[in-house]
Parts: sequence; C-alpha cells; structure tokens
Amino acid sequence: MAATTAPRTSKSREDRAESVAAYALIAIPMILFLILNIGSVAYALFISLWEWNVRSGPVEFLGLGNYAATLTDPIFLRGITNSLYYAAVWVPLTMIIGLGLAVIVNQKIRGRTFFRAAFYFPAIASSAAITILWIFIVSPEGLFNVVRGAMGLNPLFELLGFGPKQNWIGDQDTALNSIIILNAWTTSGTFMLFYLASLQSIPGQVYEAAAIDGAGPWSTFRHITFPLLKPGHYFVATVAVIGALQLFDQAAIAGGPGGDPNNSLMTMVVYLYNAAFLQFKFGYAAAVGIVLFIFIFGATLIQRRLFGQAPSW
Amino acid sequence: MTNEVTAAALVPAAAGGAPVGDRGAFWRRRVAYTLLIGYALLMFVPFAWSIITSFKTLPDSVRLTIVPQPFTLQAWEFAFTQLTPSLPRLFLNSGIIAVVVTISNLLLASMAGYAFARLRFPGREILFLIVLATLMIPDQLRLVPVYLILNFLGLTKGLLQYGGVILILAVSGSSIFLMRQYFLSIPRDLEEAARMDGAGFFRTFWQVMLPLAGPALAAVSILTFQGTWNGYFWPLILLQDQDQWTLPLGLSSFRLAGGLATNWPPLMATVVMATIPIVILYLFFQRYFVEGIAASGVKG
Repeated sequence: MAATTAPRTSKSREDRAESVAAYALIAIPMILFLILNIGSVAYALFISLWEWNVRSGPVEFLGLGNYAATLTDPIFLRGITNSLYYAAVWVPLTMIIGLGLAVIVNQKIRGRTFFRAAFYFPAIASSAAITILWIFIVSPEGLFNVVRGAMGLNPLFELLGFGPKQNWIGDQDTALNSIIILNAWTTSGTFMLFYLASLQSIPGQVYEAAAIDGAGPWSTFRHITFPLLKPGHYFVATVAVIGALQLFDQAAIAGGPGGDPNNSLMTMVVYLYNAAFLQFKFGYAAAVGIVLFIFIFGATLIQRRLFGQAPSW
Repeated sequence: MTNEVTAAALVPAAAGGAPVGDRGAFWRRRVAYTLLIGYALLMFVPFAWSIITSFKTLPDSVRLTIVPQPFTLQAWEFAFTQLTPSLPRLFLNSGIIAVVVTISNLLLASMAGYAFARLRFPGREILFLIVLATLMIPDQLRLVPVYLILNFLGLTKGLLQYGGVILILAVSGSSIFLMRQYFLSIPRDLEEAARMDGAGFFRTFWQVMLPLAGPALAAVSILTFQGTWNGYFWPLILLQDQDQWTLPLGLSSFRLAGGLATNWPPLMATVVMATIPIVILYLFFQRYFVEGIAASGVKG
C-alpha cells in the first residue's frame, strides 16, 4: 500500500471534492464490511458469552462457560483431531503435487497450455457436484473398485486389509482419507497455478549460471528452485492450512451434519454447523467459531515463524 | 489436442533441446509425455464417467461399460421431472443469484478499487486495511452473527432469502483488491488528460478508467460467477425454503434424503447439469480463470 498523503495546498476545494467522490465510491462496500465483517466479529464475541435463544436473544450470561464446554465435549475434540489430521496430511500432499505439476508445466514443452488447463480442470466444479461424483466413484460397486479388480490389483488391497467391495467413504477407517484424496485431486491444480506465478518470478540468469556450472536438473531444483520458492511455499502453505482447518462442504455432504460414519467426518466446522442449526445453541456455536479462529490464527503465526518474515505480497 | 501432443513427443527435435540421434533423451521425452498425458486424462475421467453414467440404466451403472448398454434417456427424464425441488427450478435459482452477485461485484468493486487506487482522501489507509481484514476473517466465525443480523432485517424468510445471500456476497474484499491492483498498473496520463478537459471524478472513472480495465473486469466476473454458482456454505445457512435452493443444495439433499441415495444415473445427470455451465465458461475463458487465480496468488 503506497502511503501518499495529500499535501496541504490552496486547492482545498478540489481536495474536498476528491474526498467526497471517494467516499461515495466506497460507501456501499465499506458499510457492508463494517456491519457484516468487522461488526460480526465483535457481535460473535458478545454472543459467545451467553446462552442465546434464536428468537428472544440472550437468556443467561455464562462468561467463558461456552468456551469451557467446547473443550470438554469429546465430539468437538474429535472434530479438532480430524481437522488437524486432515491438515497434516492434505496440506503437504497437495503442495507436493502442485509444485511438481508447476515445475513440469513451467518447462518449454509442447502443449503446456493444454496441460495447465487440464491440471486445473477439476478445480472448477462445485464442491457438491464433485463430492457426489466422488462418493459414486469410491462406492462399493463404483469405478475405483471395479477398475482395480479388472487390473488384478485386488490381492494387493487384500494385503492392506481391504476387500474387493470396500466402501471407502462409508467406512469410518477410510472416510477421511477418501476426502483427503478427493481434495488433493481437485486442489492441486490451484496450487500449481500459485506455484507457477512464483516460479516465473525467478530470474532466468540464475538458471543460466547453474547450467554453466554443470548442475543437473535435480540438483538445480534441489539447490536453486526449491529455496528460491520460499515466498511461494509460505503463501501456498498459509492458504492451504487456513482452507484445511475450514474443511466443511465435502465432509458435510459425504457424512451429513453428524459427520458420519461414527464421527469420522466430524470436523470443527461441521461441529459448528451442527451446534448452530441442528441444536440451535447459538451462543455455544459462536464460541466454537472463535475457537476455530484461534486455531487458524495460531497456525498462521506458527507458519510465519517457520518461514521467517512474511514476503511483501 | 492430445493427438497433437503425442505427435510432438514422437518428434523430439521439433520440441527443441535434445540433439538429433540422442536416443536416451528421445526415450526420456517419450516416457515423460506419456506420463503427462496419462495424468491429464485422469483429470477428465471422473467427469467423463458422470456423463456416461447419466445415460445408463441403474444395473449398468455399476459395470465397466464405456458405451451405455442400453443407451437410455430415462435418468435425464427422471432428473427433470421427478425431483423436488425440480432441476430447472434449482438451475434458475443458481443462475439468478450468480448473475446478480456478479453484476454487483463488478459495479461495487470497480468503483471502490478505483477510489483506493487513484483518489486521495482522509482515512484511506485504514479503510483499505479493513478491506484486507475481511479476507482474513473466516466465514464460519461470522455464521451466527450474520444469520442473526439478516434475521433481524427480515432477510431469512420467503423471497427475501435471495436478498440475504446476495447481500452477504454483494462485494468481496478480493474483488476490490483485484480491481485496485489493476487500476494501479494503468499509466496516469490518460485520466490526467481527461481531468484537464474538465471531466469530474465519476466521468473519468466511467469513461476513461473502466474501459481500460477489461481484463480485470473479466477476471472478477469469472471468479465471482464460478464462486457463487458453486457456493455451498452461505446458501445452506440462508436458504431455508426448498423453492429457493441452489443446485449444490439440491444436489446434496438428493444424495442424503431425496431418495436418490444410490440411484446413480439420475444423480449423475444432476451432477452434469450443475457442472456444465462452468465447464462451458472454462472452455471459452480459460485464460481468465488461470490468470485470475495466479493474480490472486501472487498478490495475496
């Protein structure tokens, strides 16, 4: 943000006209933001201190009671564990695929526009459509099970303990991992585009110098590309972790608002939705929202420490 | 498209780099292209499968037949006539909300983006910080208060439910950010000439700056339309009446409670219906999808 302050001149009437025009241009968005964003956060903090009735408003002041209740509910703790597990597996997996794809489509290869477009393609569909499609594909009689059977891979899966009609999304041991693979598939194209923008900001001379020194492709990647992508890693990791902790659509569509089967798809946000709109505990749900925000904020701070100073984007 | 790529892989010299006669490089290139094409195809397989399945009968839907046996339009007929809420209704609702939200983002974000990029006014820095702060606040944190505020305003009942969804999506911080960045990159000469000729701020914006902002407006339109058409969270919370549901809500309810649980062909027909408009947009405006995402990536 360029800090330019208006110099005091005699043309103060024109300055006034400029200010008035500016306020008129930004008025509607700013009013919406002040009420629905900034105001909402303050309101959420307030609501979270009360037992709150949807119709009549505050019922009883609980202080930090709602917060204490969240952290002692085993189902919310399960939600936290699931969300953290999802973040811990999905974030690195999707970043690695995204980075790999970006490095490939950044080469001077034939048809790279096509490859970029193809790899991003799964990201354009809605979470609802793609999740239902995925439920079909990994269902007991779905494409995945049929294809692995036809390829003769069933003995391999048998070794891992999965029968030929494994219900991947309906089995509590594999449900969350199925969602991880779904989202790695759909989101790796987005991360590819993020990394691509970052890759293109590395000056070409760096690679020319490496080529003169006789560095091979792997050692160029390992010692030059990867470290120079640090701002890219920071950005993608931050966006990814924030998104991961907010996992909702796919889990709620596959497992319903109860995170079925057996809480295996219960995430922090599914729990929040459940508390607000199935149990109508608005004060409690507001407290869950604040706890969620603390998790997201904490994760962002940790990443900032890990990656050093934030880049200048 | 894939055929061209395969042909290129067979002619390594044409693809540059490898000297003619270097057999190792030739094979490496072939293997690399085969893997790339295979992976690219994998991106399309599930979508292709949903289209194929929508023309199948239920018993055939769980078999590995690429050409439906028999080929039938039953599932499509079912999807269009037997579902509640009906598929055309869901399609219409999604369309109305997505179009209105896109227009509103275009108007509001281009005006605000211009003001933040070009005009000087007291409080500009702090107000822009508020715009950036909206990008950091998770929607889930806002869920309860936003619902209560819209409920208080009467926007959670009847036809006004559309209004609630539209209001919450009317302008996004990222649209404003994208527009501002683009206006900052336009040289000042043109608008200064217009100002010299006596044009006011609004006319300068409308007649000089806006026509120059085509690519940014395209990116905002595409990203907003896609995001709204696909959106699940806010519609789920704010659209209580079935008649007002959007496609994603209808879809997830067909899966859970609508009796289609494992009636795959009609379920896949609805998936295809929900995805087709965005696929068409992607085919025509692929560049703006890719550039819009990349721009939001570089600049946060």
